[in-house]
Amino acid sequence: MKPVLDSLKHSNIDWRMALMAGVLVVITLVFNVLSDGIFLSPENLYNIAQQTAVVGILATVMVLVIVARHIDLSVGSVMGFVGVLIAFLMYTAHWSWPAACLAGLVASLAVAMYQGALTAFIGVPSFVVTLGGLMSFRGAAYMVADGKTQPLTDEFFLKIGGGYNGGIGTTASWILGALICVAIIATRISKRRGKIKYEVPVLPLWLDAFVTLLPCAAVIGLVMVMNAYHIPFKDDAQGIPIPVLIWGAVALVISFLVQRTRFGRYIFAMGGNPDAAALVGIPVKRVTMLLFALLSVLITIAAIVAISRLNAGTNSLGNSLELLVIAAAVIGGTALAGGSGSIMGSVLGALVMQCIDSGMLLLDVSIGMRYIIIGQVLIVAVVFDVAYRKWTGDAL
Amino acid sequence: MNGATDQTNQCLVSLRNIRKAFGGVHAVDDVSLNLYPGEVVAVLGHNGAGKSTLMKMLAGAYPIDSGDVIINGRKVHVRTPADAQALGIESIYQTLALADNLDSVANLFLGRELLTPWRTLDDLRMDAHARKVFERLNKNFKNYHTPVRRLSGGQRQVVAISRAIYFNARILIMDEPTAALGPEETAMVAKLIEQLKAEGVGIFLISHDMHDVFALSDRLAVMKNGKLIGTYRTQDVTEDEVLGMIILGKQPAGKTQTLRDPAPQA
Repeated sequence: MKPVLDSLKHSNIDWRMALMAGVLVVITLVFNVLSDGIFLSPENLYNIAQQTAVVGILATVMVLVIVARHIDLSVGSVMGFVGVLIAFLMYTAHWSWPAACLAGLVASLAVAMYQGALTAFIGVPSFVVTLGGLMSFRGAAYMVADGKTQPLTDEFFLKIGGGYNGGIGTTASWILGALICVAIIATRISKRRGKIKYEVPVLPLWLDAFVTLLPCAAVIGLVMVMNAYHIPFKDDAQGIPIPVLIWGAVALVISFLVQRTRFGRYIFAMGGNPDAAALVGIPVKRVTMLLFALLSVLITIAAIVAISRLNAGTNSLGNSLELLVIAAAVIGGTALAGGSGSIMGSVLGALVMQCIDSGMLLLDVSIGMRYIIIGQVLIVAVVFDVAYRKWTGDAL
Repeated sequence: MNGATDQTNQCLVSLRNIRKAFGGVHAVDDVSLNLYPGEVVAVLGHNGAGKSTLMKMLAGAYPIDSGDVIINGRKVHVRTPADAQALGIESIYQTLALADNLDSVANLFLGRELLTPWRTLDDLRMDAHARKVFERLNKNFKNYHTPVRRLSGGQRQVVAISRAIYFNARILIMDEPTAALGPEETAMVAKLIEQLKAEGVGIFLISHDMHDVFALSDRLAVMKNGKLIGTYRTQDVTEDEVLGMIILGKQPAGKTQTLRDPAPQA
């Protein structure tokens, strides 16, 4: 038993993440029992997955923002502004959807450069810059279309948000799932080979295999559930919804940036010790600007998914979204003091929040009660985080 | 003096008439100081005497108001830490300049990561190189992958010093290198300084510890209120005379200042 325990100890397994995944499983099981099996039905899981996507997409990048000791309170408003702008260009100005999306991206980038420059070059705390942005860009969202709702009809565009035609179908889902599993296994194998080549100690084979096969099992499970949701009178089952696909791709890209690029490492270094980051020659201002630019790209993506899901752009799009996004990041273990957080954590955090909310909705819990409980879940998560850090000696 | 002998006549660093003001305060006021290869120059003074500011200017952390930095006979402009690093200047700061949340390997390469041909981080290569450097400094150092905040003062110092070793510093600035260390680790730092001297590295040593200064330095320069009081050969002065310079700004009577050590050989 002892060698097993030892290798577990040195395995760099993120126990907090494992625990969170466990909590998520327990939550779903409890709701499933309370709702007489409705919660874990493919239809409900399909809906939860696509509902979480917008918050999930923004939470991945919010993790980076918070890690770098910044905050963005304006994500909801900027997303509203960009969303309405895209919808306005398509509906009122009759632009094609790619052109409208590109224009939205440009607008979003301009916002990011403005807020980023205030933060990076003038040194205004991002809390203040984006608090101003929270109000201003909500106003801008109103002004774009004079407060009028901009309905969307482009059939292809509406698939992006999921819904009736928003799944990629069973065959594509299986192919995609298989490809992802192959990719996971291949990278783990090449990593193990590389470690052996450089004489870096490796995990015992059984543990490495387990750590590799677990995410594969999760992917296959997702594909199976999504393929089981068959809307009556349609030829094929839904398969993975497109917004979930986008969310997954975003999480993958950001994880890659964090683990494999200088940009990601510098974000963490800046959050861990800003003075040290400057003293060792990290271009702090440039990295901050890049971070804001990345944020703006993801806000645009989230805006596209959101208006497509809603079939319209409205000036209230993304109201209070910043709170959900920050909550998802924090529930996922991102420390507001900066310097620590994980992308996978934000994915789990967003799912935990959405599962609890949807579960309560299924159980007919009143809206007031739902707000109260979701708020306290956030507190519980942070209390746990503080206790966990004390326990592991990682006090921040 | 072995391989370094033929270089010793060439000045490694020459700081000439350096000035720096923060607002109306002259933090560094017309200071000139030389450093030769294989030499340790201790820079002394009270808190706020300007010694750290002077060194931070050499390391590119603060811009210089006026004055020249001459390295190996060539006038250079050190505007950023990256400029300093490119000139072979490495710094070990009192605050250690480590990112607490990253592991020791990431800290060793921070700002100068090794990349694969695809411009991604080459973790394995960094890992392998880091092991060699850490091993050289401390055989017992095994905590490659714990965040440095969990390391002891001595282990953190190993990480900080490894930065200077790995990147082949020619000029090393050590700001209170033994302040947080136990006796064993202090001895390790002393041994390392001897080793680097033998390799012809020039070292500026900022320290409050008189024992360290007299044990490790060849010359000492004393600053007070931003001005240089004097530069003396360490063996020429007594501890009391040094304290007199630090506290009162008084040059010891009958001692000649020296711009360099060892004295030029005939």
